[in-house]
Amino acid sequence: MMDILQLILLWFGIYYIVAVSLNMEFGYAGIPNFGKALSVLVGAISVGGILNRLLIWYFGVKGDLIEGSTFAIARMNEIIAAHPLAGIFLLLIAILLAMVVGFVVGMIFILPSAKLKADYLGVTLLAISEAIFLVCVYNLSIIGGYYGISTPDILAFAPGEKRGWIFAGIVLVFAFLSFLFMEKLLNTPYGRVLKAMRENEDVVKCFGRDIMKLRMRTMAIGSAIGAIAGVLYSFYTGNIVANSFTRVEWTFFPFLMILLGGKGNNKGVALGVLAYVIVIVFLDIYKYDIKEIFHIPFEPVWLTYILFGITMLLILYYKPTGLIPERPVKTPPVKRIMED
Amino acid sequence: MVLEGAIIYSNLLVLLALGLTLTYITTNVPNFAQGSFAIVGSYIAVTLLRIFHIHPYFSLPFLLIAGAIVGFSTYLILKPLVARRADVEILMIATLAIDLILLGTIGAYSEILSKIVGFTQAKFVFSQLDFSIFGIKGIFFVSIAVTLLLLFCLYLLLYKTKFGTALRASMENPDLAETMGINVEQTRAFSWALSGALAAVAGGLLPFMQEIVPMTGDIIIISIFASSIVGGLTHITGALVGGYIIGLSESLITYYLSSIFGTGFLVYGKVVALVIMIITLLFVPSGIMGINWGKRPKK
Amino acid sequence: MKFTLGNEMIEVRGLNAGYGKLQILFGIDAHVEPHKITTIVGPNGSGKSTFLKSLFGLNDIYSGQIIYKGQDITRVPPYEKVRMKIAYLPQTGNVFVNLTVEENLKIAGYVLDKARVKERIDVALSVFPELKKILKRKANTLSGGQRQFLAMGMALVREAEFLMLDEPTAQLSPKLAEVIFQKIIEMRDQFKLTILLVEQNAKRALEVSDNGYMFVSGKVAFAGGAKELLEHEKFEEYFLGISGS
Repeated sequence: MMDILQLILLWFGIYYIVAVSLNMEFGYAGIPNFGKALSVLVGAISVGGILNRLLIWYFGVKGDLIEGSTFAIARMNEIIAAHPLAGIFLLLIAILLAMVVGFVVGMIFILPSAKLKADYLGVTLLAISEAIFLVCVYNLSIIGGYYGISTPDILAFAPGEKRGWIFAGIVLVFAFLSFLFMEKLLNTPYGRVLKAMRENEDVVKCFGRDIMKLRMRTMAIGSAIGAIAGVLYSFYTGNIVANSFTRVEWTFFPFLMILLGGKGNNKGVALGVLAYVIVIVFLDIYKYDIKEIFHIPFEPVWLTYILFGITMLLILYYKPTGLIPERPVKTPPVKRIMED
Repeated sequence: MVLEGAIIYSNLLVLLALGLTLTYITTNVPNFAQGSFAIVGSYIAVTLLRIFHIHPYFSLPFLLIAGAIVGFSTYLILKPLVARRADVEILMIATLAIDLILLGTIGAYSEILSKIVGFTQAKFVFSQLDFSIFGIKGIFFVSIAVTLLLLFCLYLLLYKTKFGTALRASMENPDLAETMGINVEQTRAFSWALSGALAAVAGGLLPFMQEIVPMTGDIIIISIFASSIVGGLTHITGALVGGYIIGLSESLITYYLSSIFGTGFLVYGKVVALVIMIITLLFVPSGIMGINWGKRPKK
Repeated sequence: MKFTLGNEMIEVRGLNAGYGKLQILFGIDAHVEPHKITTIVGPNGSGKSTFLKSLFGLNDIYSGQIIYKGQDITRVPPYEKVRMKIAYLPQTGNVFVNLTVEENLKIAGYVLDKARVKERIDVALSVFPELKKILKRKANTLSGGQRQFLAMGMALVREAEFLMLDEPTAQLSPKLAEVIFQKIIEMRDQFKLTILLVEQNAKRALEVSDNGYMFVSGKVAFAGGAKELLEHEKFEEYFLGISGS
């Protein structure tokens, strides 16, 4: 039972980081970022493609990325086992790196479509993300592709049974920091301009704000945060397999969480993420029992796809505002009026 | 040989992009499930082949009907949202959801079918069933013939029948079409059925040139959107032009580059489609057919 | 206001309507007499155009009743209303620009059988002979006046008995506007059409009309004969400076 709780906390943290950044992009700014998975993939590239290469170079290991990683990671893990701080340091370096790369990628990502209408925007973001995903899967020299590469165990010093809990703790800390950051950021005039842009672009233009710059900034920040989730996920699983950064897993499901919880509301999103994670963790644990009991003649994953697809449609039909609807914007004057 | 493959691929892309453009014009829905529509067709074709021993070429008429049902059902699902005038983002999310449901269904079905026929149907090709004339694959002729036939029928329908004129009228101005007594709702449903039918036929032919897995639809969707956007999402003829531009360049440019940089470059096919799409969006956002080629309406 | 029951083409009772949450019309009572031209005038944003759209069923009706020839048509969808011989010509976008003139005329007879459409097109062309030479041209190549002729011709093809026109003379030269007014009179006299007109060109419109309504802020401010409305003291008050346009 405790293991289940640990898994729920861990996945909650990782998905919350993705969802809260997507919420800024979609819930606040109205950018239909159907390429959210790219930012998570960027996190994985920062670890597998950049950090691993740095380690290979540092330790002077021979061989290609896949082979070299195995040896370099083994050396690194020995060091971390002896010096816990090295693990934490590595994590922070990776996160910093991922945020910088994510920031830049996010900005370039939306560049071709920053001026376009919502539908073209959504299609372009999806297409770019999907094309890069495919290249990462089939080109083994980026992050090991479908073959996969190992990543450093930043908790190599911790005993096995405690590792999961520590990791869940780390993830939750980053999730909480993301939440605080977003709440602070979105309660500034910038956050209100984003919402205004979602409602009516022309009004924002009239106030002399450049839609393109706003969108670029939003996507840059959103992707930087999303990349953190990619880093944590890559470290947690101990390896990177490019195939796992699918559109379903890292774009569609985060959208589901946001719409379930209530878009434009970071607390509502937390509820949406939690609901999703609880369901998915239990489904994952009991899927083969379910398969046995109901005599399902195929892999349960297909059934999850169908069920989550239907759930999404039901939300869109009956509860488009989500469980906790968006709160009205409270500017200081409005607050004063409401308190009177 | 390369050109042959490129033309086959382009023909199929045209059919797929036509459907996408059609439903975009009539209902304003960018349909992310279009790729999976095709794969539903592929799996129906493989079922007819394995169980009833019908050659895929002969199952095309049946696919037309089955695809129409899939397209029409999709419209029924989207209808409450369209009627509510939901934002386009919401409609896109809905088609992503439908795509996921289709993917789950195809995946589950592929395993059930494997159990029935006794060997795996998770991936399959039809190329071994194809005939050849003077060393040219049958699919080359069939895909050209099918595409031309369908285009011709579509032309007759749109320009030579009363319903076709009504269909074009509702595409251009649904409100006005309504004032003429046209049941716009009906024309929308029809365009979705037509879109599904075209996609399913393309799906029935696709296994003759590439391996099909349940996920294939999610990959091919990039090329479909690229075709429609490059041609111009708001013009039916755009799908035709865009389909050939994307189909030919995706195959030929990738082939050319891989002959320079090695076969590793073949995975960049979708990147080529993407780059062409982005260039189009940057310079002519309304697509090639959206350009006002020197003609200006007199005032 | 008096209602002589049974003699109205259309009768509206307590109509509240608008777009979604935005209510535009507040408790409108109105009626249109058969074979006559009724004109609605009023300042910008008074809800004249919305009124026509409501009658045709193109926006949201919250409450009230619309009776057409004794039948409640409040919730009847637009395409059904066409079969009841009601026609509505929006101010802009009243022809299909990507279709040829001929296709436009044909599509106008969508609900009729083939032989009848042919007959009706001939009728329309007799009233608007200007269209004869341009049958094969796409509507987006037409001038503003030609488009208006086409739109009105389309209404004739439809065998409309009740025709609603939303600012047919907008953006036309005074000379062309006058032609349009003459065609409207011709349509009433020759085909016994009932016409409901919304006009910015208030003075001239009322001069050719039988009855008149004035809308102000979504309510009926005046109802009666067109002449009375023209001579009404408030008329000048509302229209000084606007009527000449």
